[in-house]
Amino acid sequence: MTEETITIDSISNGILNNLLTTLIQDIVARETTQQQLLKTRYPDLRSYYYDPNGSLDINGLQKQQESSQYIHCENCGRDVSANRLAAHLQRCLSRASRR
Amino acid sequence: MDTTKLKGQIQKYLVESGNYELISNELNARLLQEGWVDKVKDLTKSEMNINESTNFTQILSTVEPKALEMVSDSTKETVLSQIRQFLEEIVDTK
Repeated sequence: MTEETITIDSISNGILNNLLTTLIQDIVARETTQQQLLKTRYPDLRSYYYDPNGSLDINGLQKQQESSQYIHCENCGRDVSANRLAAHLQRCLSRASRR
Repeated sequence: MDTTKLKGQIQKYLVESGNYELISNELNARLLQEGWVDKVKDLTKSEMNINESTNFTQILSTVEPKALEMVSDSTKETVLSQIRQFLEEIVDTK
């Protein structure tokens, strides 16, 4: 009876171990092949920046107000504040076609 | 009976009765739910970074023991008791 109990336990553990190792191998195989593929396709690939404090973004830059960033409008040659760019382009581009 | 032969027979019974699939599905569902799968993926990615390698055999050798440790005790126990239950049925009928 004792021998039987031991065998059942050891076989159960063996089966569980097989299931787990198969699953682990599957996960590792997928991740390594995906990484290999990424490396060959994009040799200069950098991963996103992670800031545990949450103050820096995924490019490692500080938060910036949209009003402090300027974009050059090719149509009229002016530098426009980013938060006004859409409205500016709407007027700027339609003005050019009207004249 | 020879242990290896016995194990082989047991495995065969489990698979043929469909119980192996039940056990496997139960295990997979639990591991996914407790976040184990995601943790192992993250572990794999960090090992690849640390060792600067994407070699499967190499990464597996470092990930496997840690991943086995990371399985929650409740999942291990639940699945083991399920397996034991099936085995006890098989051993009795044989």
